Amino acid sequence: MTKLTRVVSVVAAVSMVATAFVAAAVPSQAAAVKTLVIATDLPLQGSSFDSNDSTNKAIALYLKSVGGMAGKFKITLKYYDDATATAGAWDAGQCTQNAQNHVANKSEVAVIGTYNSGCAKIEVPILNQDPKGPMLMVSQANTNPGLTKSWNPGEPDVYYPTGTRNYARVCTTDDNQGSAAAQFAKSIGVKSVYVLNDTQTYGQGVAQAFTTEAKKQGITVLSSGPAGQGWDTLQSDYTALFQKIAPLNPDMVYFGGIYDNNGGQLLKAKVAVLGDNVKVKLMAPDGFTGYPQFNSDPNADGAYLSFAGLSNELLVKNSPKGAGAKFLASYKKTYKKDPVGSYPIYGVAALQVILAAIAKSDGTRKSITENVFSGLGITIPANQSVLGKALHISTLTGDTTAKDITIEQVTGGQEQTLKAWTVK
Amino acid sequence: MSIITRKKSGSKRRKVPASQRTWSIGFLTLAIAVYIFYTYIVPHTPDGFQSQIQTWFPPSALNEALVWVIAALGLNIVVGYAGLLDLGFVAFWAIGGYTAGWFMSGFFYQLNIHFGSESPKTFPGIHLSFWIVLLLGALICAFFGILIGAPTLRLKSDYLAIVTLGFGEIIPQVFVNGENIHGFNLSNGTKGISPVDNIGLFGKRLGPFDLNYKYMIFVFMAALMVFISLRLRSGRLGRAWLAIREDELAASMMGVPLMKTKLSAYAVGAISGGLAGVAYATHVNGIFAERFQFSISIILLAMVVLGGMGNVWGVMVGALLIAWVNSTGLPALGNEINSTFNTNINFPSYTFLIFGGLLILMMLFRREGILPESRLKMVLHENDDDVDNEAPHKNISEEEAL
Repeated sequence: MTKLTRVVSVVAAVSMVATAFVAAAVPSQAAAVKTLVIATDLPLQGSSFDSNDSTNKAIALYLKSVGGMAGKFKITLKYYDDATATAGAWDAGQCTQNAQNHVANKSEVAVIGTYNSGCAKIEVPILNQDPKGPMLMVSQANTNPGLTKSWNPGEPDVYYPTGTRNYARVCTTDDNQGSAAAQFAKSIGVKSVYVLNDTQTYGQGVAQAFTTEAKKQGITVLSSGPAGQGWDTLQSDYTALFQKIAPLNPDMVYFGGIYDNNGGQLLKAKVAVLGDNVKVKLMAPDGFTGYPQFNSDPNADGAYLSFAGLSNELLVKNSPKGAGAKFLASYKKTYKKDPVGSYPIYGVAALQVILAAIAKSDGTRKSITENVFSGLGITIPANQSVLGKALHISTLTGDTTAKDITIEQVTGGQEQTLKAWTVK
Repeated sequence: MSIITRKKSGSKRRKVPASQRTWSIGFLTLAIAVYIFYTYIVPHTPDGFQSQIQTWFPPSALNEALVWVIAALGLNIVVGYAGLLDLGFVAFWAIGGYTAGWFMSGFFYQLNIHFGSESPKTFPGIHLSFWIVLLLGALICAFFGILIGAPTLRLKSDYLAIVTLGFGEIIPQVFVNGENIHGFNLSNGTKGISPVDNIGLFGKRLGPFDLNYKYMIFVFMAALMVFISLRLRSGRLGRAWLAIREDELAASMMGVPLMKTKLSAYAVGAISGGLAGVAYATHVNGIFAERFQFSISIILLAMVVLGGMGNVWGVMVGALLIAWVNSTGLPALGNEINSTFNTNINFPSYTFLIFGGLLILMMLFRREGILPESRLKMVLHENDDDVDNEAPHKNISEEEAL
């Protein structure tokens, strides 16, 4: 085959494909009811797939249950994946691309997501600069405080180049979780604490919040630095680390981080050097929840865990006849299994906020965002909210007022819910 | 073998530019056609068509694919031209990205240096012009290319690959852990550096929706890399690379300075990686350490091999194709199939299955890639019985028979 014929064949193939698209793209008939699209933007590959797939299913189910309508608008969903196979998780390039696609797709009016705070930090500024917007994004899972409030230098203003807010969330933030944990520690009589962090964004965030609140509560913080001592996640043994801590005699050790970051080894060394979790208490954030391997480890027995939001069990227990319990039952009936983790139900809460904003708006992106961030803002009354209590989005920050933290304790290889803790 | 290729290269050199010119014109025409299509035609088409374009060929994906092209062209110089297997190319991408992070953002908020940047003078940090940062990224990466290249000079094939793999793992890890190097924050750790300044072009700040301008800039950068590749390829250095690729010992016997030649391959390749890194940082408006994984190096290598090692046009096609499949093609196809047949298959999770299968098929039936380099094709099909009737091929078998 000569070069020329090769070029010609490539051109022919391209034009064929193009024609196919033109043929496929017959303009749809203008419907009497205006249809608006809500996008979900979640990583659908990698380890968080199960949870996010459940979230998409839960959102679709809830939308169907309200007849697919918000006020006078018909609502449809469009699913975006912000992960790539290459990365095996959320990918910065894909987040950029999704954000630009949200803006470019004319019928899209709001986005549910993202799952990862890092991805939100890329998407929020792009949606914020939407010429027809700003475009609303409501996340069910971003817990990094910097997205909505002063945290690292420049935050949160760097994410809102136009100066107006367009990002809200229905889950509470890492700093609240850290604070709740410190308040809880005080309530069980802890006098001194040593704080560790896994040096990552999330771990440092909770550890920093825990340290700050512990000091405020009058607990002696034995570790130095705003977020305590970092643990090297690749280290094979932490005995030396705990031998350094042992002479300080802390009442409690706080693991600010994720179990995946070598939490098992850390736990082993803690118990070996400092003793079991009755002698020297152990507390960890929700980066340690949901791991059967952690719970069944005898070393973990007695450890306290905190969890941002309410667990599904607690939701049902708190209001067995509420909207949340009803929804969880209908999810199980439709899909023959429970949603994975708590984020799916928070995804539905995010959808409720968006639907309420659309119902109050004239159907444009600008107006939908304005309805969340001005005037009375959006409130989902307790009898409708799937979270079992009234949900209000602050018009100033976009944070939720429902700052629920669940405190759990590992007993007999299980996470047992101790109590719901509202951040003071 | 090497003597034969050497003999051939004399006659080939005069022939190459003509066909390369055709390709260059083709590339430019296509690039301009795509630009006109997206900027002037798409906005006037019916909504349905526009959303189809958004689903299948979003302009943002095109820009990202061009970043991959720039990086793959650099790897092509190292692997395709000089035959040095590099499994750690992601390191240069990361270094280029962080160069943009350091010199085009408010990251070093203790300083306040502005030069040629369109960002407001009141913003703290180092804010240099995008074009200067491109140059800086290229220089820093060239330096690291030589640094990484130096210890590998005494190594060959597998051993060389292992060492480059090591560097490819070390450098991103340095960025992941670089939040507190004796009190100095080099990289902001896993939090990454964002946002990066917008590109300034003739006094205009290119925001997130000026994709067409960015497209032109990225095309220009890719064209620059193609130009550099082609010019070097047909020059003395390029021929020395090819000689090393075919037979290192013979090349050194013929007077090719191995050290200088290999190091320059690493340096030029790294420059390209640096350019891609800077481009990527401006594309995603930030830089994040966790992204620079081993798999990026492998995908880049696959782009080069699948497209056609040693042929810039092949590499370009390979990179565009794989980048598109990875970011848009497979998910879009999956959604289409799922909605048409009402199924619930998670297509992107099969990417590597499809990808691996494709690679195996390619290696079995078309080892030389989609658009092969003519020389490599000859080498790979030297002993085939079912020869096709291309003239050069015949020549080489005849020569060998002698």
